Amino acid sequence: MPDVKTPSGPENMDSDPNSDGLKHRAHANSTDADEASKDSENAGATGGTATDSAEKDGAGSQESLFECNICLDTARDAVVSRCGHLFCWPCLYQWLETRPNRQTCPVCKAGISKESVTPLYGRGSTKQQDPRDKIPQRPPGERPEPETQGPFQGFGFGDGGFQMSFGIGAFPFGFFASTFNLGEGGRFMGHPHRPQVPPNPDEQFLSKVFLWVAVLFVIWLLIA
Amino acid sequence: MATPWPMQKRLQNELLHLQRDPPVGISVNPNSASSTLTLWSVNVVGAPGSLYAGEHFQLQFTFGKRYPFESPEVIFIGGNIPVHPHVYSNGHICLSILTEDWSPALSVQAVCLSIVSMLSSCTEKKRPPDNTFYVKTCSKSPKKTKWWYHDDKV
Repeated sequence: MPDVKTPSGPENMDSDPNSDGLKHRAHANSTDADEASKDSENAGATGGTATDSAEKDGAGSQESLFECNICLDTARDAVVSRCGHLFCWPCLYQWLETRPNRQTCPVCKAGISKESVTPLYGRGSTKQQDPRDKIPQRPPGERPEPETQGPFQGFGFGDGGFQMSFGIGAFPFGFFASTFNLGEGGRFMGHPHRPQVPPNPDEQFLSKVFLWVAVLFVIWLLIA
Repeated sequence: MATPWPMQKRLQNELLHLQRDPPVGISVNPNSASSTLTLWSVNVVGAPGSLYAGEHFQLQFTFGKRYPFESPEVIFIGGNIPVHPHVYSNGHICLSILTEDWSPALSVQAVCLSIVSMLSSCTEKKRPPDNTFYVKTCSKSPKKTKWWYHDDKV
């Protein structure tokens, strides 16, 4: 079990009070404490104690390796954060809802969001009920393109769905290889939840202009 | 026993492990945990080598329905309230993880250890400067206090 390990002995607790990342303290008063002057550093690794003991203990018993860091039970509909911490999706979802404007990993306080967690699918997971039937919906797995394409991949223009690539190999014929793709930009940086936007008319117009400029340029090259 | 809220399982889990394998100087009062597990009392002993070495204190944990998404209410109770710059004489504790820095990955054990650590790093036994005023005016629950965390040394 996480959290049940004898932690660093009491002797060394006072050797470095800050080493555990805990922030204790201070002065209170009932009503008028100044919100603005709160120590912004407070977000330090408060979870340190729990994390350390969980890791030490996890080595002892295999089961606790796959326990949710929130409900301390075997993770169901498991998701893993980018910082590598495992949670049940319902547990994590509830935590993110609790602190909508300060979303941090419960274990290490790294940034975390619904979109950035990855679901884990074990071999038997297909037999289980589809987690999407439940609320909240677990975020889908992403399927990024493999990274084996050539060096000239093209330039992506932000998120708008406009992508242009140049082949400058056999000049001037390379220009014929120029391509103007519409509506497919953002595929490489694909975001599972982003709605597909139809191609912007301005961009369509712009790409036609570029096309004509290229055609005229080639004609000029041939004439000259 | 009916399950009043889903996270009761987690409390049972924590209680079981804390009783079976307690860290040095921390023990749950047997019988103190009520049947619904919403109220615990935990004995802590000051760490050796600290100003509180060998002293026994009692902590009371009250868990709300939203635990562990919401921090438990933790106060010192009983006859011996530690004299510490962040512990008020009514038992309220000024500790950031008990309010805004709470995380559901923390646990009863982590909170107890933090409190023992807070006691251990104290260099002079004294009450908070605003103790008299606070104790007179505060609400019954420290969770209603707007704490201002400013000191990360003690």
